[in-house]
Amino acid sequence: MAQTMDPNNMPILSEASVSVEIETEDMTLNIGPQHPSTHGVLRLVAKINGEKISSVEPVLGYMHRGYEKLAEVRTYPQVTTLVNRIDWVSGFANEIPFIAGAEKLMEIEVPERAQYIRLILTEMARISSHFVFNGAFPLEIGALTPIFLAMEDRERVLDLLESVTGGRFHPNFNRIGGVKPAAGAGPTTKKDIQDLPAGFYHDTKVAMQKVLEAVDRFEDLIGGNEVFQLRTKNVGILPKEVAEEYGVSGPILRASGVEFDLRKQSNYLPYDKFDFEIPIGENGDCFDRWAVRTSEMRESAKIILQAIEDMPSGPIQAKVPKVIKVPKGQTYVRAENPKGEMGYYIISEGGLGPYRLKIRTASFSNISILPIMLEGALLPDLIAIMGSLDFVLGDVDR
Amino acid sequence: MNQSDQNEFVNSIQSKFQNSSVEFDTLKIEVDSQSWVDTHKTLKAEFNLKFFNWLSAVDWDNDVKIGDAPKESVIPSFEIISCLSKTNSDDLVISSTKISKEEPQIDSLVEVFGGANWHEREAYEMFGINFLNHPNLKKLYLPDAYEGNPLLKSFELISREVKPWPGEVDVEGMPEDNNVVSEEGS
Repeated sequence: MAQTMDPNNMPILSEASVSVEIETEDMTLNIGPQHPSTHGVLRLVAKINGEKISSVEPVLGYMHRGYEKLAEVRTYPQVTTLVNRIDWVSGFANEIPFIAGAEKLMEIEVPERAQYIRLILTEMARISSHFVFNGAFPLEIGALTPIFLAMEDRERVLDLLESVTGGRFHPNFNRIGGVKPAAGAGPTTKKDIQDLPAGFYHDTKVAMQKVLEAVDRFEDLIGGNEVFQLRTKNVGILPKEVAEEYGVSGPILRASGVEFDLRKQSNYLPYDKFDFEIPIGENGDCFDRWAVRTSEMRESAKIILQAIEDMPSGPIQAKVPKVIKVPKGQTYVRAENPKGEMGYYIISEGGLGPYRLKIRTASFSNISILPIMLEGALLPDLIAIMGSLDFVLGDVDR
Repeated sequence: MNQSDQNEFVNSIQSKFQNSSVEFDTLKIEVDSQSWVDTHKTLKAEFNLKFFNWLSAVDWDNDVKIGDAPKESVIPSFEIISCLSKTNSDDLVISSTKISKEEPQIDSLVEVFGGANWHEREAYEMFGINFLNHPNLKKLYLPDAYEGNPLLKSFELISREVKPWPGEVDVEGMPEDNNVVSEEGS
């Protein structure tokens, strides 16, 4: 604060007494909304005292597109296009709970083969999302190499997603009652026609082996790095009680030692047919959050390899009316997305579109603990903590 | 998921709360707005629903500017909906209460669940609902100078005024009776 000084009454320097106790006051540091470590356009207003953060206030809304309002003027098939863009790193996974909710209200039984295709592509979306995390998180705390490796490895998974859905980020592949015929479906055996592209099983097997190799490499390269360990171990510890109270879900909750995964607990897709583990962390620090996600990639690859082995045959689309009208009713359907629990509360009044659609996204709740986690933390740890939460602003603002 | 455990949970909730229903696998209880906070305290303490999932609101109105109006006439009101769940099973409870539109206010849940903070701020700016005893009730997404509450049914989309939604062409004019057509074989 600038004080007006009277030049005639200025203290003489030699007479000035020096106070030993220097009074400090908090400095306000504005981070974002265009800071590269904020994964988009998150703005943080931090009060810092030296290197120590005394308080942080996240400012949201720079990516707010009003999807809940838009959904009220769209028909159900059109909403699928919107929800792709919520968490754009794993666009395919966003469609699943919405479509499943609409199917539940319409009481449609989805063919098993369509469910398997959904499951395989959801797990691919999870792997691709965690690849981005494995590249971006070390990059933010100073390791440049992993991002190049991760992007190259992710490309294999995106190629597979593209060969089936025709889209790398926004597939818009699910239909109420099943899935769309594959985009790249060329001439193949009669059973598979218009369903999965030729050579999909073989390419998937090769790609998943590469994913498993990549996970081993990341665990060595990133997890075995001493600097990475120093920056992340015992940093940003999140107790599970706080996580539960704030609705923090997904890998962050599991890193805090809570064994909760909707793929095991719920039945929105036939995950019960496969053998996989739920990785759990012990300390709930940044390192555990990285380790849980990286182990999850291995489990996802295992699920995909099992799923293509016993892929059922049959139709990929149930019988649905030509004009989709969802009967009156309310339901909440949720799914385990790469970033945590995503759910849609659909209120249908029997129209062509939902009367009200509440979109519960993972990142919104996950970053609502930032003010608590960052209080008393050191400023360099802010980047590590934010990076370990692995949020996407489209998923926060909707 | 164990089916019998699920039923046991549903039964225990239904014996405690009179106004409850299971619709499309979703357990919903309706409570009085006076007992909104107490309900959540009970659900947290007695039913182990410690995971604060989300909170939002619905604008029930017959006069709908955009989208579809309710088929049957409704009493204009705000419905506040919250979702609590567990972290060891798939159990969840949707709690709902109705408040009047003339005086849209309700007690805040922040003292019970800290996670309600941002959700209530969102409902405040989107519907204009006043959450009493909220520690920091200000706009979450919208700019401070923004006027209006976008999720109200009376709030029009200005872009839609200028140019009607082109997608409507696809949906309107479809014959009603031409209903069940399978994708395969057609």
